[in-house]
Amino acid sequence: MAFDWDVIWRNKYLFLGGLSVTLKLFVLALAGGLPLGIILGLGSLSSRRWLYYPTRAYVNFIRNIPLILVVFWVYFSLPLISGRSLGPFTSAVVAFVIFEATYFCEIIRAGFQSVSKGQIQSAYSTGLTYFQMVRYVLIPIAIRRVIPSLLTQGIVILQDTSLAYVIGLREFVRTAAIVDSREVRPLELYSFVAIVFLVLCLVGSLVVRRLEARDRQRV
Amino acid sequence: MNKQDTAKGSEPMVQIKNLSKWYGDFQVLYNINVQINEGDCVVICGPSGSGKSTLLRCVNGLEDFREGDVIVEGVSVKEVSHNRGIYKLRSKIGMVFQHFELYPHLTALQNITLAPRKVSKVPGQETEKIAMELLERVGIPEQARKHPGEMSGGQQQRVAIARALAMKPDILLFDEPTSALDPEMIRDVLEVMVNLAKEGITMLVVTHEMGFARAVADGIIFMDEGKIVEQGDVESFFKNPASERAKDFVDRVLVHI
Repeated sequence: MAFDWDVIWRNKYLFLGGLSVTLKLFVLALAGGLPLGIILGLGSLSSRRWLYYPTRAYVNFIRNIPLILVVFWVYFSLPLISGRSLGPFTSAVVAFVIFEATYFCEIIRAGFQSVSKGQIQSAYSTGLTYFQMVRYVLIPIAIRRVIPSLLTQGIVILQDTSLAYVIGLREFVRTAAIVDSREVRPLELYSFVAIVFLVLCLVGSLVVRRLEARDRQRV
Repeated sequence: MNKQDTAKGSEPMVQIKNLSKWYGDFQVLYNINVQINEGDCVVICGPSGSGKSTLLRCVNGLEDFREGDVIVEGVSVKEVSHNRGIYKLRSKIGMVFQHFELYPHLTALQNITLAPRKVSKVPGQETEKIAMELLERVGIPEQARKHPGEMSGGQQQRVAIARALAMKPDILLFDEPTSALDPEMIRDVLEVMVNLAKEGITMLVVTHEMGFARAVADGIIFMDEGKIVEQGDVESFFKNPASERAKDFVDRVLVHI
């Protein structure tokens, strides 16, 4: 059989559109999931019971169900309660933030625990308030220590975005499926999608390794 | 000593009154009473586990306590410990820790300027100038742009002292500041502390450096098992310790010197 790689070039605008949806979803999942993860991480270390128990219940609940169920729940079930649909893109963003924040929480919690009690006390001893201590001492030290794990999780999220396929979002993988239904070139199309994901993730891993090397000198 | 001359007013700078503290059911401090006048340098010594560090941390509210109170410059630590007043109180009390506890992601200069910038809202340029002066004072201006990981223990501890001084505190607390240092570094840090004591800043120092105590301390407190066993004048403590336990301790540390 003959390969027809031109099928990709012919549909380049469709692919660019799909890729941009995937990247947008990825960036928004990070932009929402990371801050929420930090808040959940702080809650997970709180000595206040009314903060600790709800946080841990939320994190453990979400972490123990498949992502696809969260996506379904937000897309299909939420409208039944709220009375209006969010549409596939917003639903996917909401589901990803809800889900990924719990994974970020566990990573960041480990980072927080690596900051010595003495460093926190020394910040307090100069008169810093709780929020100043968190903002200028706890988060900067903790995040630097867990950057490799955070970026690994970022790579996982990038791959997870393809799950939005199931609620009809025209992200990168679904774009290939749509083109395939017209052109019937599954080998070329899905190989191309795989290679693009591979390149994006390899670039990510490279960044991880560079940061790890830099970090070892400092924190 | 001319330090008594600089003391203003009759109120002691720090008053620890009938302070008792428990960890769960275990009592770690028993009815502690201490008065420290402005400009005094008071050394707390005693075997490890005797509650020295815990007592020190009660003064700036890093540890809470169940009974008694600490009055710092007329402010009750107990009263402010559950409101924002504790932050203001701590900004007037500098603290130096056994393991330095510098912020590893910041340079020496940034370690010193963080609190003045964020707590006192002093503009950045001005805080840098003050920080450089402090680094000159502790003898390591050339380390300003380095990170803690690139400095020796002695240098880190001197940065930590500069950081504690940056808020222009009225009182300095030292928690075994030389215990984690290599012998050749200890002298550099002690020298800085001796100068501070001579300048008349009020100091409360937990240490085993009896040479330091004899050189500059105005008073000494000997603790054992959470109780103050003896407190008073430094020379008489070393010459005629009243209790058996203090005698034992003095014998051991003096032989060591």
